[in-house]
Amino acid sequence: MSTLEKPFKIEDLLQRNIWDVDEEPHIEIPLDDQEGLKKKALALLCPAGCYTLIGDRLIFSYEGCVECGLCRIITPSDKIRWTYPRSGKGVTYRYT
Amino acid sequence: MGDVGRKVPERFDVIVVGAGPAGCAASYMLAKSGFKVLLLERGRGPGSKELYGGRIYAQPLRDVWPDLDKKAPIHRWVTKERFSFTWGSRVVTLEYRVGRSVSFTTYLPEMAKWMADRATEAGALLVDEVVVDDIVVRDGRVVGVRSGTDFLRADVVIDAEGVNRILLEKLGLAERLDPGKVAIGAKEVLRVGEGAINDRLGLSKKEGLAWLVAGDVTEGVPGGGFIYTMKDTISVGIVLHVGRAVEAAEKGFLRTSIHGMVEKLRLHNYFKQIWGDADVVEYGGHLTIEGGLGLVPKKLYMDGFLVVGDAAGLLLNTGYTIRGVDFAVTSGKLAAETVVEAFNVGGPTEENLSVYESKLKSSFVWRELVKHRGISEIMSDPYYFTVLPALLTSLLKKLFEADYEEPTIMDAVFEAASEEDISIAKLLLKLASVVGRV
Ligand SMILES: Cc1cc2nc3c(=O)[nH]c(=O)nc-3n(C[C@H](O)[C@H](O)[C@H](O)COP(=O)(O)OP(=O)(O)OC[C@H]3O[C@@H](n4cnc5c(N)ncnc54)[C@H](O)[C@@H]3O)c2cc1C
Ligand code: SF4
Repeated sequence: MSTLEKPFKIEDLLQRNIWDVDEEPHIEIPLDDQEGLKKKALALLCPAGCYTLIGDRLIFSYEGCVECGLCRIITPSDKIRWTYPRSGKGVTYRYT
Repeated sequence: MGDVGRKVPERFDVIVVGAGPAGCAASYMLAKSGFKVLLLERGRGPGSKELYGGRIYAQPLRDVWPDLDKKAPIHRWVTKERFSFTWGSRVVTLEYRVGRSVSFTTYLPEMAKWMADRATEAGALLVDEVVVDDIVVRDGRVVGVRSGTDFLRADVVIDAEGVNRILLEKLGLAERLDPGKVAIGAKEVLRVGEGAINDRLGLSKKEGLAWLVAGDVTEGVPGGGFIYTMKDTISVGIVLHVGRAVEAAEKGFLRTSIHGMVEKLRLHNYFKQIWGDADVVEYGGHLTIEGGLGLVPKKLYMDGFLVVGDAAGLLLNTGYTIRGVDFAVTSGKLAAETVVEAFNVGGPTEENLSVYESKLKSSFVWRELVKHRGISEIMSDPYYFTVLPALLTSLLKKLFEADYEEPTIMDAVFEAASEEDISIAKLLLKLASVVGRV
């Protein structure tokens, strides 16, 4: 069976894109207090899989973020700082 | 002075924020009329942050670029429309052979670059890799934009920032996006090869296919799948109603991630015949508007300011067609016309720019949005995304999988309904309300 006949992990999909990841995180979501976060939704709906649920705890990494804006609108605004990467950094699409 | 300040002169007639379809159309029209235009884009080149489904309706773009058919990077003209319902392994597909093609497929990054090139050829200045942080207002008038430590001055600012209207929110003209009014899309691009696409889908050279899918591909969440043929690739993606998807995820009904759903669609027995084992060459995600008039901001203009395209909430999604790019281009064009006229009658005052709203309201864009405004309620109701595909696929199974005795259609409907636990009375009421709305 070729690898193309099995579902890819999100990392393998994202790896296809052109990236220039900003050294500065453009999204900050303090995770010490996870009250009020839509944890399951973030884990399932972030198209880049940046949010992972381990047990009941959410972890976040901004690196594969495709800047879609979803987490910004489903998280209370005082619980997330959401900006665009600076100077054209982040993802660069060619065929989308 | 920061980066942008070094690259550009002091003052512009118009600054356009965002080199998407709306911003490029406005920039092109204004530059052509002799205005000094600065087009700012946060991505590395126009289009580099853009992702959509795959097809654009041509005529509204021809109104701006009459040489579109000859010059634009058109991949294929859509000559086949398909719509499928999926439920388990059962699939029902409707195909329409298009007589006169009115839409084409292309990559949005490529198309946006083409549109931005038209604008710069006409004299607009494009500066990319610049994030605009604020639209600057003094004494109730928009006077320019701020990016980092740079302030750039202009008589008019056109906001073409797209669906994530952070600038519009900061200006107080729009609320934070309501999850009930947007959808999240994710898509893969598969390198299939031009010949294989043509052979497997029965297309001749330059003929394309647009295919929408509803049913369990979204696991009960309102939304759907889409498949578009490009020249030698196929785009495959999933769109989910954000409000409903969040609800389903939080309640534990939804278990598959959105990228998992895209992968399931790629590996779906019925669909995968078309792309075989083609490799994925790109993957991404983007928000989009659910459609209807729900995201149109309180005001579309201010003294020295206009808002166009997705930022203005102008997109129609009927479930079988999505019209965002052509609406964006049309609003960009109307905004440009408004600015030109405003300068002829004394300047870009709030009153002179209010003409934009009247132009928009008498355009096909607004008429379409008003005509189809009932659709958004249907598009957010999980009922239609579960019951219809379940019933339809089950019904056809009854009709076509009989060894000896075929049921009558009525019997098949009732048998299918009872097997799928569907109340016919409720279905009829729901369908009547659809007819009422559309
Ligand atoms: C999954 C999906 C499928 C779709 N399918 C279709 C389809 O098949 N057909 C169709 O017609 N439409 C489709 N659409 C909708 C279509 O993509 C949009 O309606 C269209 O792109 C809107 O154009 P716009 O110029 O208003 O905004 P955008 O295309 O979003 O452009 C906005 C631009 O502004 C830039 N920008 C944003 N903020 C800043 C800032 N602060 N500073 C500098 N630059 C900034 C962005 O980088 C971007 O280039 C789809 C959308 C999605 C998400
Ligand atoms: S912006 Fe989109 S891609 Fe980035 S982390 Fe948030 S949800 Fe994920």
